[in-house]
Amino acid sequence: MEKAVERGQDLGAAYVELRGEAGFIEYIQMDDLRVNALTQRIEQGVAVRVLADGAWGFVSTGDLGSLDVAVEDAFKMAKAAAPTRREPIVLSDLKAVHDVEEVKVVRDPRHVPIEEKISYMESMTKVIKGYDSRITAVTVKVRSASGKKFLATSDGTRIQSDVMLVWSYPWVTGKEADRLSAARHEEASTTRGWEYLEDFATPEFMGEEVARRVKLQLGGVPPKAGTFPCVIGPRVVGTLAHEALGHLAEADLTVNSAFNGKMGEVVASEGVSMIDDGTIPGNVGTTRYDDEGVPTSRVELIKDSFLTGLLTNREYAAKLGLPASGNARAESYLHPPIIRMRSTFFETGDWSHDELFEGIDFGYYCLDMRGGQAQMNASFQVGIQEAYEIVDGEVGKPVTDLSISGIATDSLFKIEGISKEGFTFGAGRCGKGQEAFISDGGPHTRFLEGGITFGGQG
Amino acid sequence: MDENKLLELSGYIVEKGRQRGASDVEVLSRSSSEVDVVIESGEISGVENRLSDGIAIRLYIGKRMGSAFTNIPTTEAADEAIAMALASAKVTTEDLDWVALPEPGKYPSIKGLWNDDIARCEPAKAVEIAGEFMKRATEAEEGLIAAYGGSGVSLYHTAFANSSGISHSERGNVAYAILGAIAQIEQGVTPMVLAFDVKRHMDLDLEAAVDDLASLLRVCKNTVEGRSGEHTVVMHPWAYGQILSYTLMQAVKGDNVARGKSKLEGRIGETIAPENVTIVDDGTIPTGINSSFADDEGVPRRRTPIIEEGVLESFLWDTYWGNKTGEESTGNARRSMRQGLVEIGGTNTVVEPGKRGIRDIVSEIDHGYLIRNVQGAHSSNPESGDFSVVGNPAILIEDGEMVGAVHGLMVSGNAFDLLGKCVEVAKEPIALQGLIGPEIIFEGVNVITRG
Repeated sequence: MEKAVERGQDLGAAYVELRGEAGFIEYIQMDDLRVNALTQRIEQGVAVRVLADGAWGFVSTGDLGSLDVAVEDAFKMAKAAAPTRREPIVLSDLKAVHDVEEVKVVRDPRHVPIEEKISYMESMTKVIKGYDSRITAVTVKVRSASGKKFLATSDGTRIQSDVMLVWSYPWVTGKEADRLSAARHEEASTTRGWEYLEDFATPEFMGEEVARRVKLQLGGVPPKAGTFPCVIGPRVVGTLAHEALGHLAEADLTVNSAFNGKMGEVVASEGVSMIDDGTIPGNVGTTRYDDEGVPTSRVELIKDSFLTGLLTNREYAAKLGLPASGNARAESYLHPPIIRMRSTFFETGDWSHDELFEGIDFGYYCLDMRGGQAQMNASFQVGIQEAYEIVDGEVGKPVTDLSISGIATDSLFKIEGISKEGFTFGAGRCGKGQEAFISDGGPHTRFLEGGITFGGQG
Repeated sequence: MDENKLLELSGYIVEKGRQRGASDVEVLSRSSSEVDVVIESGEISGVENRLSDGIAIRLYIGKRMGSAFTNIPTTEAADEAIAMALASAKVTTEDLDWVALPEPGKYPSIKGLWNDDIARCEPAKAVEIAGEFMKRATEAEEGLIAAYGGSGVSLYHTAFANSSGISHSERGNVAYAILGAIAQIEQGVTPMVLAFDVKRHMDLDLEAAVDDLASLLRVCKNTVEGRSGEHTVVMHPWAYGQILSYTLMQAVKGDNVARGKSKLEGRIGETIAPENVTIVDDGTIPTGINSSFADDEGVPRRRTPIIEEGVLESFLWDTYWGNKTGEESTGNARRSMRQGLVEIGGTNTVVEPGKRGIRDIVSEIDHGYLIRNVQGAHSSNPESGDFSVVGNPAILIEDGEMVGAVHGLMVSGNAFDLLGKCVEVAKEPIALQGLIGPEIIFEGVNVITRG
C-alpha cells in the first residue's frame, strides 16, 4: 500500500489514502430452528481515495495485485470532477500517526466452533418459544467479524487496527386469533469476543427481552393520535439524540439543515446537554482513530441548551474552521469514509424518577424503539415497540405499535425534566448510505405536550 | 470479469464441490462496476468507482446446508470457499424439509437489459450529466440548493450454475441521475424534494426531473398548517412504495405465509382491495431496474399478479419454500451474496394505472394532502401491517391547489386497511427503483398534525 501512496504522490495528488482490510466474517441465520444461512467468508480489499485539483476520486477493489492501477484510476476520477468545482476541497492539518490499535478478546469468534454458535441460537429460540404459547415464529441472526484494517496516507500516517464484532438479533412474531405482533432486540460488541454472548447477551437475556415485548404487544391497547406529555426511556431517548439532533450535527448535513448557522445559539430547553463521544471504553462506536487517521474525541454538541459543536471529518473541519473530531467512518473498503456518529447521548439532569411522571393526567411512557429516521428540515420519526399509557401519573396499560415524531428544532425546547439517574447505552446500527455500528442513550426524559407527536390510530 | 469467465468458474466450483463430497452444489457469481458522481452541497465533490467480484456458494451434504463467499474470482480462492462451505455443512443441523435445487427452465425474452452506450460511459460523461442536472435545477427555481445527489452507471455480469443442470449467464446495466434539493426559508429549510431518472440507456430525461423538482420545491417554500382527522391523501409512489414494501410485500412472501407471519395466509381468491387496485410483481418488464432473465437461484423470472382487480391472486415463492408447500417457484429468490442468505424478494412492483391524470384528480380535492415521501416506513410492523410515518414532504391541497408544505405531518393506519381506502389510481406511471406506478388516492386516511 505504501508504494501505491507514492504512486499517487508522483502523479501530483494533494492527498492519497489507502485503507486495506482483511478478515474473517460470518453470518448465521436460524428461522424456527432451521439454519437458513451459515456463511463464512475471508474477504480482503482496498479503498483508494485521492484528492487532486480540489476534488475526490475513489476506487474500491478486491484486486490487491493492481493497487497502482487503482490509484491511477482514482486520480483520473478526481481530475474528471475537478473542473466543475467553484471551491477546491482542502483538508484540515493532521499530525501523522504511527500506531497499532489492538482489541484483546477472550474468545475470538473466528475460533469458536460452529456447533457452539448454532447451540447458542437454538437455546435462544427455545427460551423465546417457551415464554408464551402464542409465539409462532422466531428468527435469530448472529454476525461476527475478526480481522485487521490498515491505513496509509500521503501525510505519513500508518495505522493498523484490529476489527472485532459480535452481534445478536432475534426477531419474533406472536399471534392470537387474527392479531399479529412482532418485536426485536439487538446487542453488539466491537471490543469483546464471543464471551460477550456468554456473559451478557446470553440466550436467556436476549430471549426474554424480545419475548416479553411480543407478549406486551399482544395484550396492548391501540395508541391515540396527537400530542401528549410523555416520558421517554434511555433506549428511545438515545434514538432521539441520534435521529433528532445527531444527524443535524453531522457537518456534511448541517450545512443544508435547519441547524445551519445556529452555532452558539440556544437550541434546547435550559439544562439540556448532548454529547457524541468516540472515546468511551467498551462502547460500540469507540475506536482510537477514525478512518482518516484522526484521533476520536468527545464533542459537546449541546451544552446547557447552546449548540456548541459539530461532528466533522477533515474536509468539513477545514471548510467550517472547526477541529477534526474523528468522526469519519467507512462501512468497509467498498465505501469512502463519511461523517458518522459514535456514542450519542443526553446528559443526566436533576429530576427524580417519580417526579417525571407526576401530574401527567394522560400521556405515554416509551421504553423501546424499532428504527428511526431524520430529515434535514429537522423532522424525525422513531418507531416504538414498547410503550405504556400514563394515567394520573401512574404507568398503565401496554400500547401496541406506534411511532413518535417531531421537529427537533421545536421538540428540544419542550424537554421539561431529565432524570438524575444514570443509564445504559444501547447498541444499534445507523444507515446513512452505509451501515455504521453506533451506540446511544440518555436518562429518562419528560417532554411537554406539543413536543412529541404520537402517530396513533385514531 | 465477464459473464462467460464467471460461468466457467461457477461450473468449476459445482464440479469440485461434488468431487469433494457435496451432494448438491449451486453457485452465483457476480462481477459489477459502478461509477458514481457525488453531488454534495451544490458542488460535485468527486467520482467513485467500485469494482466488485463475488462468488456465493451454497451446497448440501444430504440435507445439511453450508454456504461461503469469496470476493476473489480465482480457482484457488474458490477451493478455499468450497472447503469452508463443506465444513459448515458437516456441522450444521439437518433440514428435513429441503428437497432439491431448481431444475433448468426456459428463460423469458427481455430486450434492452444491456446497452453499449452505458457500458462505454466515461467518468467525464457522468460528471457532465450531474453538472447539467444541477445547473438546470438551480436555474429553474430561485434559492434551490442541490443538497445531495449524483449520476452514474452500474454494470453487472452474472453467472448461475448448479448440480441439477442449470448453467446460465447474463449481463445488464443502468444509468441514473438523482438530485435532492432544499431551499432556505424563515423556519429553517424546506423539506427535501427528490427527483430522479433511471434508464437502461443514456438518454436520461433531465428536463422532466428538473420540472418535477422545481415545481414541488416552489410549493414547499410556503409553510402551512395541516388539520388532524380523516382526510383524502394522494400518495406518490415514493411514499406508498415504502409503506407497502415493509407491509404488504412482506405478507405476500411465501416464507412468511408458511411461517404464520402473514395476515394474508389462506386468503388467496379473496377480495382484499377495491377493483381499481391491480399490483403485479414483474421481473421481465424491459424498463424495470430489477428485471433479469433469472432469479438468484437461476430460475426464470416471470410476471406474477399479486392483486388483480382487488382480488388476492398469488404469493411469491422461491424453490425451497415452493417445494415445502407444494407451490412452484415464481422466480423470486434473492440472495444476499455476502451473507449467503437466500430469501424471497419482489422484483419490480407494477401498479396498474387508472384513467385520469393527477392534475385533474388534485383539482377536485377540496381538502387533502399529497404525500411525496415518508420517514420511518421501516419501523412499520410487517406482521400486523400497522404503520405510522411522517409525510415529508407533505403538501396541503386546498380547493384543488397545492398550497404549501406541512412540517411534521404524520399518517398512520394499517396497510391492509389502506388498500381498501383506494378510491382512484392516476394515469401516468412513474418509474422508480423497483416500483413502477402512478399516484394513488386514498380516502379517510388518519392524518395527525402537530399541536
